[in-house]
Amino acid sequence: MNRIQIKIIGSFLIIILLMGSSSCKKSLDETLDITPHDRLTDASVWTDAGTADVFLNDIYGQLPDGNNWYDPFDNWSDNSICGFGWPLSRTDAQQVNYTPSTLAFWTGLPFDWGTNYNNIRKTNLFIAKVTASTLTDEYKKKRLAEVKFLRAYFYHLLWMSYGGVPIITEPLSVATQGDSIFHARNTFDETFNFIQTDLAAIASDLPVTGDPGRATKGAALALKGWCELFAHKYADAATTNKQIIDELGNGQTYNLFSDYGTLFMPENNANNEGIFYRQYVPRVKGGRNEGYNASTFTKGGAETSWGGVNPTQELVDDYEMDNGLPISDPASGYDPQKPYVHRETRFYESIVYDGSFWYNDTIYTRQGIGSANEIDLSDHNDATQTGYYIRKRCNDKITLGSDNWDGASGGQNYYYFRYAEVLLNYAEAQNETVGPDLSVYDAIDKVRARVQLPALTPGLSQDAMRTAIRRERRVELAFEDKRWWDLIRWNIAHINLNQQLHGISITVGSGGTLIYAPVTVPGGDRKFNASKNYLFPIPQSALDQNKKLTQNPGY
Amino acid sequence: MKKCIAASYVCNVHSLKHLPGIGFKKFIFLLVILFLGVIVSAQNKLHVTGVVTNDNGTPLADCSVTVKGNAAGTKTDSKGMFSMDVPDSKSVLVISYVGYQTLEIPVGKTTSFAIKLTSGNASLADVVVVGYGTQKRTSITAAVATINGDEIASQPVADLSNSLGGRATGIIFTQGSGEPGYDGSNILIRGISTTGNAQPLVIVDGIPRNFSQLDPNSIASISILKDAAAVAPYGMGGANGVILITTKKGKTGAPTLTYNAYVGWQNPTRLTKFVNAYQFATLFNAADDNEGAPHAYSDYALQKYKDHSAPDLYPDHNVLKELITPNTIITNHNLEFSGGAERIKYYAGIGFLSQNGMWGPTKYKRYNLTANIEADATKTTKVNVSLNGRVEDRRFPGVSSGSIFYQAFRTPPNAPLTFSNGLPGSYIGRSAYGNIFGSGYTQTVGYTLLNQISIEQQLPFVKGLSVKALVSYDFNPFNPTDPGNPFAPITTFNRTWLTPILYYNYDSATNSYPQSGNDGPAKPQYSESYYQSQAFTYQAYLNYHNNFGKSEVTGLIVLEARNTKSSVFGAGRVNYSVNVPELNNGSSNSTDISNYGYSAESKQKSAVYRVTYGYAGKYLVEASGRYDGNYYFAPNHRFGFFPAFAAGWRLSEEGFIKNKFPWITNLKIRGSYGESGALAGSPFQYLSSYTLYGNASVLNGTTTQGLYENSEANTNITWERAKKTDVGIESNFWNGLLTVEADYFYEKRTDMLFPPTVTVPLEYGVALAQVNSGAMSNRGFELSVGSTRHFSKDLTVSLKTNFTFARNKLLQVFETDATFKNPNRRKTGRPLGTQFGYKAIGYFTQDDFNPDGTLKAGIPTQAFSTTLHPGDIKYADVSSPGGGKPDGMITPDDIVPIGHPATPEIIYGIIPSVAYKGFDLSLLFQGASSRDFYMSVFAFDNSSSAIIDALDYWTPTHPNAVYPRITTQPTPNNTQTSSWWIRNGAYFRLKTGELGYTLPITVIRSIKIQSARFYLSGQNLLTWSKIKNFDPEISSSTGQYYPQQKVISIGLNVTF
Repeated sequence: MNRIQIKIIGSFLIIILLMGSSSCKKSLDETLDITPHDRLTDASVWTDAGTADVFLNDIYGQLPDGNNWYDPFDNWSDNSICGFGWPLSRTDAQQVNYTPSTLAFWTGLPFDWGTNYNNIRKTNLFIAKVTASTLTDEYKKKRLAEVKFLRAYFYHLLWMSYGGVPIITEPLSVATQGDSIFHARNTFDETFNFIQTDLAAIASDLPVTGDPGRATKGAALALKGWCELFAHKYADAATTNKQIIDELGNGQTYNLFSDYGTLFMPENNANNEGIFYRQYVPRVKGGRNEGYNASTFTKGGAETSWGGVNPTQELVDDYEMDNGLPISDPASGYDPQKPYVHRETRFYESIVYDGSFWYNDTIYTRQGIGSANEIDLSDHNDATQTGYYIRKRCNDKITLGSDNWDGASGGQNYYYFRYAEVLLNYAEAQNETVGPDLSVYDAIDKVRARVQLPALTPGLSQDAMRTAIRRERRVELAFEDKRWWDLIRWNIAHINLNQQLHGISITVGSGGTLIYAPVTVPGGDRKFNASKNYLFPIPQSALDQNKKLTQNPGY
Repeated sequence: MKKCIAASYVCNVHSLKHLPGIGFKKFIFLLVILFLGVIVSAQNKLHVTGVVTNDNGTPLADCSVTVKGNAAGTKTDSKGMFSMDVPDSKSVLVISYVGYQTLEIPVGKTTSFAIKLTSGNASLADVVVVGYGTQKRTSITAAVATINGDEIASQPVADLSNSLGGRATGIIFTQGSGEPGYDGSNILIRGISTTGNAQPLVIVDGIPRNFSQLDPNSIASISILKDAAAVAPYGMGGANGVILITTKKGKTGAPTLTYNAYVGWQNPTRLTKFVNAYQFATLFNAADDNEGAPHAYSDYALQKYKDHSAPDLYPDHNVLKELITPNTIITNHNLEFSGGAERIKYYAGIGFLSQNGMWGPTKYKRYNLTANIEADATKTTKVNVSLNGRVEDRRFPGVSSGSIFYQAFRTPPNAPLTFSNGLPGSYIGRSAYGNIFGSGYTQTVGYTLLNQISIEQQLPFVKGLSVKALVSYDFNPFNPTDPGNPFAPITTFNRTWLTPILYYNYDSATNSYPQSGNDGPAKPQYSESYYQSQAFTYQAYLNYHNNFGKSEVTGLIVLEARNTKSSVFGAGRVNYSVNVPELNNGSSNSTDISNYGYSAESKQKSAVYRVTYGYAGKYLVEASGRYDGNYYFAPNHRFGFFPAFAAGWRLSEEGFIKNKFPWITNLKIRGSYGESGALAGSPFQYLSSYTLYGNASVLNGTTTQGLYENSEANTNITWERAKKTDVGIESNFWNGLLTVEADYFYEKRTDMLFPPTVTVPLEYGVALAQVNSGAMSNRGFELSVGSTRHFSKDLTVSLKTNFTFARNKLLQVFETDATFKNPNRRKTGRPLGTQFGYKAIGYFTQDDFNPDGTLKAGIPTQAFSTTLHPGDIKYADVSSPGGGKPDGMITPDDIVPIGHPATPEIIYGIIPSVAYKGFDLSLLFQGASSRDFYMSVFAFDNSSSAIIDALDYWTPTHPNAVYPRITTQPTPNNTQTSSWWIRNGAYFRLKTGELGYTLPITVIRSIKIQSARFYLSGQNLLTWSKIKNFDPEISSSTGQYYPQQKVISIGLNVTF
């Protein structure tokens, strides 16, 4: 019996030892070691080109997702109005009542301060880690150029939005850098120079043609040329855009796609007009543009789209007649009571208007016939505010409605830069630098010729050419989220956005004739304060967390 | 059903074979040791028997009979008989029974006893379940509240967490939803003491487990461990309080079979009322008037809405009411079988619960099985085996209830919810009706099996010493997607079948109803997922209990190791061409196929101790604690020590009280101080790491994987530390005529985890791991007062009340200067969750404006909307930047505290009960206050409908309205977070009421059963609150959630 008792006590002590109260603390710690399987470490990420590429894939994914915006950026401009009242363009932008505390770009548009700096850190981390890695020089050269392009892209979004911003080129670390993690703002010019210099340096490291969706030489030059234009460095802009045209354009790598209307459809994703763009795979990583932004009601009264983009009468009036004359020209043949006949093809390819066909239905925005799409002057549903919907960039060959807005079934590219813009950028820069020389005509006429418009009348003054280029640009690039920045850099935002925008009231008169009358519309009452709104306010949280930052004037 | 249990059990056995090497060896080793123990037989043992009766000589069944100094013992059978072994003739028998005074009888040479108990105080004799053991109520020095299993068994609620509220002090709770299967309460012990995870630890039969879906009938008792002394044995898990659940065990006596059942009818406590079509259209036209826009609705339309003469063109629906079915059924059946012979006791229970939702597709079914065997393998060896299994089967529409309510709140009354022929219509491409009835389904089935075996061996060579080993293997004790949440439903297998939701339109020209589109996917989609978790827990106990003269000493050491593993696997396909939901039947196109999966594990090792010393039952001291290690943190930061001390003084045992004030039955003061910990954040924050994910970007036409940097590592991260102080008094006067128990508590939580985000610029670009940096205090008091009076043998009246107040304060948090330097906005020094906003001071009036519509000089500008109008909300200008004088502008500097946190600071319960002859009536009134709720339910917000309250809007002739002037979309000025929308969330409700009738013994005998009781019971029967159009426990500021339910049920309880 005693032996058994001893055994029991002894055994209990052994259990105690076994279960962890051993004298060696380190070994006790080790018994709790677990290597998590759901994450990777530095050691595994930066030693393998394939894994480092996966990090880069994430950065590409952060680029603006323009086919998934329910309130696209043109709604901030004079091109369109959102058909429903709650998004940013209606609550904040329309009357510019945003403040440093309230401007909520993170709800959709790609201009958010913090989000862009998150992306810039990703690029800086990639650059630092890959540079220090033992990966091949060939890999480093190719991928570092891509990542520097992406960094420049994120910086240019910040720079256009806020002016000069802190230029940070390495991953910040509070542990090793201490207080030097706080950066003051660089100037507008310094930020521009940084973007321009980086892009110039890496352009030749990038491939002329790369995997669709990735940065190429053309992308770097297009971004550079655009930033130069934005900075009013017209000579630089002319040179850079000319370089694209000469080295890559005219069918070498890029050319205008034959058909403007279907350029933006998924079947033509593989065109040679796109220079830098985001790709989509329906349902897996697809777009919702049609469900968000196209014509609201279709056959049977079903609401197949939220009607997020309603083109304004101001934009519609900028489409020329098919004879190439603006409607304001008495010779154009424009009849305000037959406004939709003999307009240029881009009008029919970009705008859904009263009586045009969309998806499975003829869309009637006229009043008094009980149409669900009747112009919504009382702002009570998602039907058009203006009497128009967009057609451009919207695909009506897919199932619209919830399948698109829940299922992201869109598959067409979203273009950041395409060759037509390079031609227009060149025309503008060259016109500003040396005036309307032949190369200016050549560039803009190419864009017009593609849509069967006659060449511009020779002998235009610089001013007249400027007006023509600006109208051409507005129409050609409508709904590609470019218009706001054009209004800003042309310094006309306080004019064009300080007015009441219009829609079209269509009523049925005696004998069934339609009567067209421009009307002021809900959401069309625009404000813009020239003393401050040319730049967005830096978020209050950024100022609160970094005492070195200064706010933009007026906020 | 049976098959399911069998299947999971097979799986369990299978898994046991694959226990990790060390664990399994340890397990075998323990078994060997304990087997050795089993063959030890005791010497000197005496066998005693007896019968226990009350004053009247009626045998008392179920009395506890123990040997003093040893918690283990036996219970009397239905004839009041007991029989047990005692160590020797010096042993003292302790006989206790609820409602009677405890008796201590030395054994001596007697082996057969006739014992008479006199009725006395209920709680004095109780044995209370505490961490890793039990203690006598009289000698306990910690703050522990208990709830008896009987109190909750007959309540018509599915989720056990809903049965605790109002029944004991220290439980702060909110039931945020009434959706079957997801209607559990959020339970906090003594409120919130941390910005991190504030949920208490839940222990079921000694092991951390999910408890909310146990069979209420299988619960023996619930202990709420509140102060440091009570939670110290749980170390890093204890700081938020601990809920201990003990399930039923067998009782010695003839086998009894008990059948419990109820059926109840459920309705929402309050169903939000909306405007009708005419009101909606009129309201909208009024908004158009305010905006100078043409009327959206013509007089003709208004007339049609009013007279309902064209229901398909001018509908008038009461959307929410038409979607729900009233009086849905909840039913519960339970069969218990228990009994015991001399050396073996057994308990088995099976339960079935079925709860229907407010609409057909929503159903919850639960099957519970509990089995427990306690056997004396030898005279000194006890073996306990218990199995506790359940199946939780939830079915819902394909669309979540959140989306259903969103859509129901959105759909205006004049939209075609359904047409006159029953076909569903649509609003903004959505079908509120189809979301419920045509969307497919979601089914989640949870399989859980909790197994444990323990062997306890008395060690005869040291008096009062015993060892015990416990091994538990749990299959699905927690949900892998929310492993730290003991209330998260178990969802082992999920399937979701989403179909196109067809909707129709009315074509008045042809008087036909063509299908006009569909909500949901264009083609059906199907997905499945499997969640699995397992936990292995090993405990080795060394227990000591002995008396030396007037001294009583107990000691406890427990070594515990716990490992868990979990995995998740899911797959899905879209674009189904056939209507048969099987994975294989979906599209084979690679972009239509998806799958995912991941796994995780955890490890914990601990040593627990508790030593108590009592002198003459008067002076009580206790020391307890835990040395606890957890895998969460980096090596060298894994182990911590969490000690606590407590002392108590039973004044009622002192001569100067006992002799002079005999009416003081019990008077004890006690106090405790100690430290415990909390795992507030997520594991592995000490590692620099990257996370992989799918569908990052599309490059070269295909989707790619992505990889992103996780937050910057903090290698020093460790647990939160809680220092708890508690002072309490327990008293009992005139043998239970008045009982008062009061506690004051104070806790300081330090090392609270915060990401130090504001210490780096926003340009930093990556989140920082949490650091142990914050501090918070939490203090309050608890009071329970009770009284029981037996007026005659037929009439007993009792009243129990409890009151809990807990208020926390942030002592140190990361704040930006914008809030920290403004005394109005500073979070530090205020309770967590204090609501901030502008102070609304009424509406602008015509007098505030110049003729041109601009604000008059001197009125602070408020630039949320560009133009202001009479009837817009006016805010108070209180400060300039940095907290100074008013500066004539309403800016964020003018933000002030506008309300209490949404979690109530005060919770109380009032429980009167009366028993008269065969009738018993028991009510539970429960209330909460010091709670504010922010309501932002605006008419036409994002094209939504309008609740009935929205009709009370500002006009020049109705200036004292609840809502500002009406607009087609609420204006930014009027939707600013402000005091205007704060509602007092206090409420008082009759939470439970039960009226029972027990058949008289004469009737019972004639039908040959032991007892039978019928009862009428109810839940959330009456509610009083300032919030009128919603249940006051509303959990969504938009009101869009599945509301709490009122239940009325009838039940039956028969023992054969």
